[in-house]
Amino acid sequence: MNTYLVRRLIYKDWYLSQGLFLAALVLGALTLAGIAAAKGTQLAVILGVIILATILIGMGAILMSSMVVERRQQTLPFVMSLPISYLEYTTSKLLGCLFIFLVLWAALLLGMIATILATPWFPHGLIPFTVIMMVEMLVTTCLLAAVSVTTESQGWTIGVAQLGGLGLNAVGFSIVRLHGIKDTIVAPHPHWTPTALAILAIELATMAMSIAVAFYIQSRKRDFV
Amino acid sequence: MTPLSVHFTGVSKRYPHFSLDNIDLALPTGSIMGFVGANGAGKSTTIRILMGLVHQDTGAVEVLGHPMPDDQAAAKRDIGFVSEDMRLYEAATLAWHMKFIQSIFPRWDQRYADNLLRRFDLKPQQKIKGLSHGQRVKAALLLALARRPRLLVLDEPTTGLDPVARHEVLAELMAVLTDEDRTIFFSSQNTLDVEQISDQITFIDRGRIIDSANKEIFLDRWRRLRLMLPPDRPLPRLPGVVEIGGSTRLPVLTINQFDPAMVALCQDAGAAVQSIDAMTLEEIFIANVQSRRDHSVAVSETPESVTA
Repeated sequence: MNTYLVRRLIYKDWYLSQGLFLAALVLGALTLAGIAAAKGTQLAVILGVIILATILIGMGAILMSSMVVERRQQTLPFVMSLPISYLEYTTSKLLGCLFIFLVLWAALLLGMIATILATPWFPHGLIPFTVIMMVEMLVTTCLLAAVSVTTESQGWTIGVAQLGGLGLNAVGFSIVRLHGIKDTIVAPHPHWTPTALAILAIELATMAMSIAVAFYIQSRKRDFV
Repeated sequence: MTPLSVHFTGVSKRYPHFSLDNIDLALPTGSIMGFVGANGAGKSTTIRILMGLVHQDTGAVEVLGHPMPDDQAAAKRDIGFVSEDMRLYEAATLAWHMKFIQSIFPRWDQRYADNLLRRFDLKPQQKIKGLSHGQRVKAALLLALARRPRLLVLDEPTTGLDPVARHEVLAELMAVLTDEDRTIFFSSQNTLDVEQISDQITFIDRGRIIDSANKEIFLDRWRRLRLMLPPDRPLPRLPGVVEIGGSTRLPVLTINQFDPAMVALCQDAGAAVQSIDAMTLEEIFIANVQSRRDHSVAVSETPESVTA
């Protein structure tokens, strides 16, 4: 594996998406500031969560579909003229897009936790649920990355992005009703119950599996451009 | 023996509606091969296999001594590739692209890159989305040339260029040829471009190599013979006749194995040779493709001719 070249390709994706990344970061920070300024009113929280979820899902979809976009915009022959193999290209795409997404994701997650901790309007017991839902967004993004990289189809990528958005609501509603989550969500302190930890473990395993499957399928491809 | 920069042996690739059949190709180091074919003939598929982007079903491909596609990363360190369907990143400037390529290719020649910027009249700070098609092709060519590749693979780089831009691109390619160790594989539908810069010519049609030779040999062995036959005299039997046109009394023979001795053969058969015309590469290409496509028909319709 030519790690130097993989790093250069990740840098290239970072450079090309930094404008969008900064816009998403600023919008996310303004949303969190708005929630705090509105003193955690129900309307502000609902609107804020919708905006933050939209930012993350949207950025995830844009970043993870960059391989499809690269093919559509015909920049793939340029990249593949560089001294790289299929697998190195796939690695750079998956790791690069996930890295960029993770930076935004981590910044927004830290912002959310900081908002919960620093303002008096939210119970700290909300933190595990917030983390679980944020990791769920990572799962959706990893699934989207795997589908985008392996199918190289805009249709499939858009379809999975939409399903992911809908699935996120379903997962949220299901999780919030589980014992070990609903009992502690309004507690004054965060409780990392076995249920919360089990959900996180399942989410992490799903992410790892989707990335592994993407690499496996890519390694078996015979035609690339 | 001159080492080979590109070597295809029995390469085949099958798609549902197209097949590349048993391609054998040898490109000696330091030569320029013009790869000519109509749309859909298999040029781009061959080039994708050469670049390791498509895996051949059967056969072996070696590029700069590296087996493809397994060792494509190593081979591509010494390849500059420009294709008609290649685009650069529209949101980035040419200067960014140059810096990016420079960071990957240690042999990047900044002085040469600056020189090409001037000659191609390109502005490094301009974003790619603001460039015309001709400027984009020149920018891609600059990025390929300034990395100082041992092998330059060009897939229809002059397609869609205006005459001035085409002239500039071809002039630069000819300047590149002064380096004897540089090898160029150049695909095109434009036989004029190929005739101008190539020293080896390969024709491909419907997924098969139909002819491949040194350009001078190509041009020397193809001729049009305009004859005048006395009444009731049959057409003389000549080797390498691929097409017979004209009329019964004034036949025009297209020959792919021309030999000056044929003139005497014609005269012995009672035919007067009115003229022996050299053919352009385009005429040769068309005659070659047509004769292959109509081979069986030509044989049945003209029993006197000895087809290629």
